[in-house]
Amino acid sequence: MSYKVKLEGELLDNAKKCAEKSGYASVDEFVLHAVEKEIKRVLPEEGGGESKETVKKRLQGLGYIE
Amino acid sequence: MIILLLWFYVIGFAFTVGGQINAEIEHAAALHGHPEAKAAGEKVASETKSISPVDRWRDRALDSGWHNSQQFDYQLAFCRVLNVFSWDSFRRQRDRSHFSPPQDVRGLKRTACKISSCLLVCAVALVSCQRGGRWQGDQKLIILGIDGLDPQLLNRYIEQGRMPNFAGLARTGSFRALTTSIPPQSPVAWSNLITGMNAGGHGIFDFIHRDPKTLQPYFSTSRVEPAKHALHLGNWVIPIGSGTAEQLRQGKAFWEVLDEYGIPNTVFRIPANFPPVRARGKILSGMGTPDLRGSYGTFTFYTDDPMSPPGTVEGGQIIPTQVENFRVNARLIGPDNTFRKGSPAATEPFTVSVDPLEAVAKIEVQDQKFVLREGEWSDWIGVQFQLIPFIADVRGICRFYLKQAHPRFELYVSPINIDPADPALPLSTPKSYSRDLSEEAGEFYTQGISEDTKALSAGVLDDKQFLEQSRTVLAEHRRIFDAEFPKFQRGVFFFYFSSLDLNAHMFWRLIDPKHPEYNAELAAQYGSALPDFYHQIDEVLGEVLPKLDEHTTLLVLSDHGFAPYYRSFNLNTWLMNNGYIHLKPGGSDSNEAFANVDWSQTQAYGFGLNGLYLNLRGRERDGLVGPAQADALLQEIKDKLLAVRDPQNGGIPITRVDRAKDVYQGPYTDKGPDLLVGYNRGYRAGWQTILGNFPADEFENNSNPWSGDHCMDYTLVPGVLLSNRKIDASAPALTDIAPTIFAQFGISKPDGMMGSSVFSH
Repeated sequence: MSYKVKLEGELLDNAKKCAEKSGYASVDEFVLHAVEKEIKRVLPEEGGGESKETVKKRLQGLGYIE
Repeated sequence: MIILLLWFYVIGFAFTVGGQINAEIEHAAALHGHPEAKAAGEKVASETKSISPVDRWRDRALDSGWHNSQQFDYQLAFCRVLNVFSWDSFRRQRDRSHFSPPQDVRGLKRTACKISSCLLVCAVALVSCQRGGRWQGDQKLIILGIDGLDPQLLNRYIEQGRMPNFAGLARTGSFRALTTSIPPQSPVAWSNLITGMNAGGHGIFDFIHRDPKTLQPYFSTSRVEPAKHALHLGNWVIPIGSGTAEQLRQGKAFWEVLDEYGIPNTVFRIPANFPPVRARGKILSGMGTPDLRGSYGTFTFYTDDPMSPPGTVEGGQIIPTQVENFRVNARLIGPDNTFRKGSPAATEPFTVSVDPLEAVAKIEVQDQKFVLREGEWSDWIGVQFQLIPFIADVRGICRFYLKQAHPRFELYVSPINIDPADPALPLSTPKSYSRDLSEEAGEFYTQGISEDTKALSAGVLDDKQFLEQSRTVLAEHRRIFDAEFPKFQRGVFFFYFSSLDLNAHMFWRLIDPKHPEYNAELAAQYGSALPDFYHQIDEVLGEVLPKLDEHTTLLVLSDHGFAPYYRSFNLNTWLMNNGYIHLKPGGSDSNEAFANVDWSQTQAYGFGLNGLYLNLRGRERDGLVGPAQADALLQEIKDKLLAVRDPQNGGIPITRVDRAKDVYQGPYTDKGPDLLVGYNRGYRAGWQTILGNFPADEFENNSNPWSGDHCMDYTLVPGVLLSNRKIDASAPALTDIAPTIFAQFGISKPDGMMGSSVFSH
């Protein structure tokens, strides 16, 4: 499944500028990354990050965490 | 699909091999001072071109001030497991890492030629100490870094006659307490030593940090980010682009500065240096290095005992097995295979044939067969985990211990360590150093914390078995020391030992009758374990002392001391009971960190072993406390914490609370906790409170074998500093060590570095 978003006008111009200034290959790549980043911030579990339980297991080998 | 995979493989192989060859040539040229060798951070024209958008972002990030976040991108398409990346991309990123470029060697030579002949001798001496010049001196500085070497225990064992070499060094040289870091935790303390700055300068405040926006915990010294995009082909997932592994310690390491001045150095297993920063010397990473599964140590335990519940335990995994016809078929668990959809763990089969009469078993792993008696450890066994058949695999090493053959089958397998002979992750600089060490001194534990304390805490290993494993770790370190130390000719030689720290954590209960877990019977059997480890370190010192001459300075030091850990203080429960944390209806039953916390009413929370953070507006995602209220609130909490008393015995659990702004200097001061909670000897942050859980009671007895600790009031657990020279500083601190190193070689203290040499030169 895919979903298309239309950018136009000033928003598109600014997105182009940001993509170019930040070194993205295209506006598509910039938008994709921005959305991924925002999803990760708002919904960390759904955004592909490891769960707190997974992180906890990784850290337990340090000895300081039960 | 196969053609596509093969194409990826061939291109990746070419890049990897080409990159490694280039890296080795550059490294060799740099080591030999070749005039055409690239200086650190210098790029040739072709290398300044960004290779991909990812590289461009990173270049800009570095230019924008991420100077010392040692990031390494990696060719995920072929070599990546969860944390596995290639040496080619490691080299490329090393070249991109920011360093102050040394002056051109040829420029210095031209300058020197203009100096008149009568000043030639002076000029040579000057050039020898100029940045980028080849150092010609013959001074030697030996540093033995002994994690957790405690001044009180050292004095006790000296008085008992167990430490004749330390006694001699203290008598003929100097012996001082060494002020540790705030808080006194190993990653923080060693970072103080490495950089000559405190946490405000190097940015390491605890073993664990949190993302203020998500409260997701992560290990403070390094972080791995996976690739952002992937190509999905059926059940296979081909990552596209690069992920990153960052070293999060900021500031320049002392050996980076030594490199700039051409001073040879060897740094063995210093903590907080994974992935290892670019260096010309021989560096092996230490604490912070993960196992092959990306964790900080995950053992596996195979058993047919129905009383051992299968599943995950702290730091390990219990796997139920069936013994059928005296044979066990099981699988070793390797890294997550991110080439497969869902990233299942890569596994490899092994079989165990149990002798029907004798307590003996034959184990077959891939093409290796070996026999273990009950109670016997195997040597290191290499295991190849296949990720993509015939195309991508990754190698680790592990040790087997046959705990019981009959009537129950019990087999312990150590965490799968990265193989130093064929490292899937960068363990050393140069790359070949870990391989050379393994060829010369045998395979060795590469995971940062090698002693398997969690197996003892979980009851999978008992005291005797843990002690055997721990002795093996020290024996490996001593073997490597014996191989490396005789090669040391000049410059700096740093060698790290972990044994006193980990064994004080685990065996304090057997040297202290006041500990709630003290057991007289066990103390009679194993109470000598910790002093024996101290004695072994004394033997190491005994190897060093005869080598000292008038050109050699010796420093023997520790990052912190030790104290008993009798009682836990659950900081988050206390904050909740005092109205600083509010829970949503439903209470605190969840085991999930900070689950059910109502952040709209929460003012402060505890995180890590000594940290207390405000729920600060503009920093935390749901920040409540405005900057104008912060000072008064922190003072209020501080006063209340210092007034807390232990209801069981009236004891004072917290003797010191520091404001971050009062004790830290540097650009990262506001990235850490707002308050540093300093516990009294005998107390520590409770096991559950560290990651944000809420046990019912504010105080609990510590019933864990992990019975000694140091994450306390830093004034109560100083480290030690001994030297063959007179130490002039009256109160030396860890932050004085880097300036002391530089002063030995006539190098001025870099900007931002605190402290000063402990010697008056």
